Amino acid sequence: MVASGKQDALLAQMRKGTLQYCVLALLADEERYGFDLVRSLAETDGMVTSEGTIYPLLSRLRRDGLVETTWRESTTGPPRRYYKLTAAGQAALEAFKGEWSRFRDAVDHFVERKAV
Amino acid sequence: MSTTPDKLVDRYLKHLEVELDDLPRDRRREIVDEIAGHIAEARAGLEHETEADVRNILEGLGDPADIAEEARERFEVQPPQPAQPFKPGWMEITALVLLLIGGLILPFFGWVIGVVLLWVSNAWNVRDKIIGTLFLPGGLALPVFFLLFAGNTETGECGPVISDSGRTVIPPACTDSSGSTNYFGVALSIVFFLIPVMTTAYLAYRLRRAPAAPALA
Repeated sequence: MVASGKQDALLAQMRKGTLQYCVLALLADEERYGFDLVRSLAETDGMVTSEGTIYPLLSRLRRDGLVETTWRESTTGPPRRYYKLTAAGQAALEAFKGEWSRFRDAVDHFVERKAV
Repeated sequence: MSTTPDKLVDRYLKHLEVELDDLPRDRRREIVDEIAGHIAEARAGLEHETEADVRNILEGLGDPADIAEEARERFEVQPPQPAQPFKPGWMEITALVLLLIGGLILPFFGWVIGVVLLWVSNAWNVRDKIIGTLFLPGGLALPVFFLLFAGNTETGECGPVISDSGRTVIPPACTDSSGSTNYFGVALSIVFFLIPVMTTAYLAYRLRRAPAAPALA
């Protein structure tokens, strides 16, 4: 396919753009530490290619005030940094959810020829 | 070797640190610490750790270069610019010419102008500029004057001189009538001639590999 390179790049961009909302969604119900969060994301096929790339994202989300972190002692090893959604993070997630379902349905409407 | 997995992890984290070099320090620290924590968690979860396990953990994390690229994107940091070949301008060329022969064209001041241009230019770093200034002041003017001076001494000052007391004395610098003093003078002239030439060649060489951006001052 001629456009496969371009297509790969586009899919990578889409993944990158939506990944932060997947992270926020994972934190919606409970706080999690980095390794746990990364493992949950990596379990779902197609979301993350390099686990390490999630840490820059977590750092950015923290600086943007969408998540906050707390260190907690661990029973198995050194203390863990737990990530937790802030009110701003919650709001960002809710806003995205609405936009996303409209967008997803619209795309589905054309590519799957489904009725909305 | 039981230390091999530790070495692998160390190497990975060092590599990551280098790749993240252009990020603000606190962000670099945070990312490296978190990834070190990730590796520690993953290793703690293993029953019997093997080297292959550790390699799998590191491979799962991905290439440090990819993590760094992601970090630059997330923090909107410009990727490092590839070094551009520096195109020497008139200032650099003039500086080199004047440093070498400026003192001959316009005694002393020609060389001084060369030094000023050398220091004003962004093409050299401070170390190069100091080398250019110290080796040698005056450029080729110094050995040329030295040669003229040495030539004069042959007939002038090295000849017998009538001292105050009326006795004929040979100046101590020219005691050897076989001419060894002149050999020394010529050798010194050659050295003084070669130093500015070599310095100029060195500065010209540095010019070819100089960064286009202002050099570190």
